[in-house]
Amino acid sequence: MAVNLEVKIGSLTMRTPVTTGSGTFGFGSETKDLVDLSKLGAVCVKATTRERRLGNPPARMCETASGVLNAIGLQNGGIENYILEKLPYLRQFDVPIIVNVPGESPDDFAYVARRLTESGGADAIELNISCPNVSHGLDYATQPHLTAEVVAAVKAVTDLPIIAKLSPNVTDIRPIAKAAEDAGADAISLINTVIGTAIDARKRTFKLANKTGGLSGPAIKPIALLAVYRVAQTVNVPIIGMGGIMNATDAVEFLLAGATAVAAGTVNFVNPLAAIEIADGIADYLEKNGFTDVHELIGAVQ
Amino acid sequence: MIRKRTATIVSVQALAAPGHYVLTFDDPETARDARPGHFIAVGATTPANAGSSILRKPFSIYKVDPDAGLCTILFSVYGPTTSTMALYKPGDKLDFLGPLGGRVFDADPQAAVHHVMVGGGYGVPPLNFLAKTIKAANPSAKVTLIYGARSANLLVGDDGLREAGVEIIACTDDGSLGVKGRVTDGLAPLLAPPILGAGGASGGACVYTCGPTPMMRAVAELCMAHNTPCQVSMETPMPCGIGICVGCVLKKADGTFSRTCTDGPVYPATEVTWQ
Ligand SMILES: Cc1cc2nc3c(=O)[nH]c(=O)nc-3n(C[C@H](O)[C@H](O)[C@H](O)COP(=O)(O)OP(=O)(O)OC[C@H]3O[C@@H](n4cnc5c(N)ncnc54)[C@H](O)[C@@H]3O)c2cc1C
Ligand SMILES: Cc1cc2nc3c(=O)[nH]c(=O)nc-3n(C[C@H](O)[C@H](O)[C@H](O)COP(=O)(O)O)c2cc1C
Ligand code: FES
Repeated sequence: MAVNLEVKIGSLTMRTPVTTGSGTFGFGSETKDLVDLSKLGAVCVKATTRERRLGNPPARMCETASGVLNAIGLQNGGIENYILEKLPYLRQFDVPIIVNVPGESPDDFAYVARRLTESGGADAIELNISCPNVSHGLDYATQPHLTAEVVAAVKAVTDLPIIAKLSPNVTDIRPIAKAAEDAGADAISLINTVIGTAIDARKRTFKLANKTGGLSGPAIKPIALLAVYRVAQTVNVPIIGMGGIMNATDAVEFLLAGATAVAAGTVNFVNPLAAIEIADGIADYLEKNGFTDVHELIGAVQ
Repeated sequence: MIRKRTATIVSVQALAAPGHYVLTFDDPETARDARPGHFIAVGATTPANAGSSILRKPFSIYKVDPDAGLCTILFSVYGPTTSTMALYKPGDKLDFLGPLGGRVFDADPQAAVHHVMVGGGYGVPPLNFLAKTIKAANPSAKVTLIYGARSANLLVGDDGLREAGVEIIACTDDGSLGVKGRVTDGLAPLLAPPILGAGGASGGACVYTCGPTPMMRAVAELCMAHNTPCQVSMETPMPCGIGICVGCVLKKADGTFSRTCTDGPVYPATEVTWQ
């Protein structure tokens, strides 16, 4: 028996509830030999900024217990480069594109959102107000009024669904999620990486040139699940849950906690087909447990 | 063409050098497509049992046998991936992505030059592959391997080179074999004065190097001082190996950051900055 996997994030329809986590799947073309993008629920591409960014010096990443620390520093070619060089490949596939947008001012976010809207470069915009690796990035998602300011500035220039991506590096994520919703966000995605560091005892240095980085992978799953559960109790808009999802069972746990969709992040480094295989695994789970629709799982654990 | 493979392991052999192994697996397409400088990303911890380490780790292709459909890698045991690999038995599966690498060694076997490979540790295997490839295309090509280690028993990766007609110069810190000193001590005499190349025509050296970063830096700087072309194969950690994480970058001389997995791993020495 076929089960329904289709979910909606605002006006965006996803064929499966699994997208990719921004920054963990490049711009789609890197995996052209391996992944048919039309089998994904959506493709969320790497952060795209107003101007080209070179990113942080190496070392940018290191492995930690059940996780990865990164301080990439938002290396990307800028919005015009995205439209010219990255978009044509993505548009060959019948799949929604979510573009992740960081910025240093509400005006920056609005500028990129406007260019994406004019160029047909995105089907939804994910506001990255929570990157721990650049100054003026994290700051927005630590304060409800700053979060609201960015969401409102983007809302004013686009009709595309707006997803506010929040940080776990706060005392209480709920008022921030509420502020995003009140300012017009169509969805909330969480969590971005957890700030941390690693030290090399042999060399007596920090392992990352940036000293600090964002932790991702299985190590942060409990933190992410709690954030999803709490925010689901607080807002009415859909949630895209992520943080340490390695397989379909992990994804089901996020749905049960209240996420409408999930993102495969760090797992792409291990298996670039993860988002497709996780969606297949969710379908199996539904069938084996006598469900017909993925919505039966969403928020089922209270 | 990158493939995701679960190949059957044919053999795992411990080398005389402590902690070093060669592993051969059956994968005709990789054996056919791999070029010297290509690598594979091995996943020895699976998502299902994600333990302390989750990432794949890169390993250079050491040998290929396209007729038998076999590929070989050489590795030394450091952490979770290589410890697991050392326990593999014939018949077990090797989970990998490959062949990986956007720019590999670029050698012209017909050129009237002295092809000099300079390697250390697990940097020697891709040079072995390159040396044999040059010799197979042109048996009269002049090819030399200079490789180094602390002591003679740690020299690895020279399998089959003598038989292929490659000259071998060993350099050991303790003088237990060959030149007492570093690989640059073995290399310097070859760079000046200009060498008589293949066929008696006057030709300089082309240097290809892979190994620990300080070694490659010393080799690259020596070559640049002698105006000798040098290609370096970078061994930065590679979290994904396929260009999606941007975590493996090298700072290039023009100030930009280059993904060593897909823009490299091989670069002309003139493009590289050393930190
Ligand atoms: C392009 C490329 C090709 C490579 N080819 C080979 C190859 O052919 N054979 C091979 O054996 N290795 C090769 N390597 C290196 C290999 O990928 C790493 O050593 C890998 O980290 C080992 O994985 P692990 O899980 O066993 O250890 P890890 O958990 O990654 O390492 C454990 C600890 O040891 C340290 N460490 C890892 N490697 C080294 C090292 N070489 N020297 C000193 N400290 C180290 C790490 O920093 C870490 O703290 C290659 C690397 C690159 C980038
Ligand atoms: C290498 C790397 C780069 C990332 N880049 C971005 C980014 O550009 N924008 C963003 O919003 N999140 C970025 N993230 C965060 C992920 O999208 C995701 O929120 C986080 O990694 C948690 O999910 P995971 O544990 O499944 O990876 C990045 C994560 C990693 C590991
Ligand atoms: S290893 Fe991920 S981009 Fe190079």
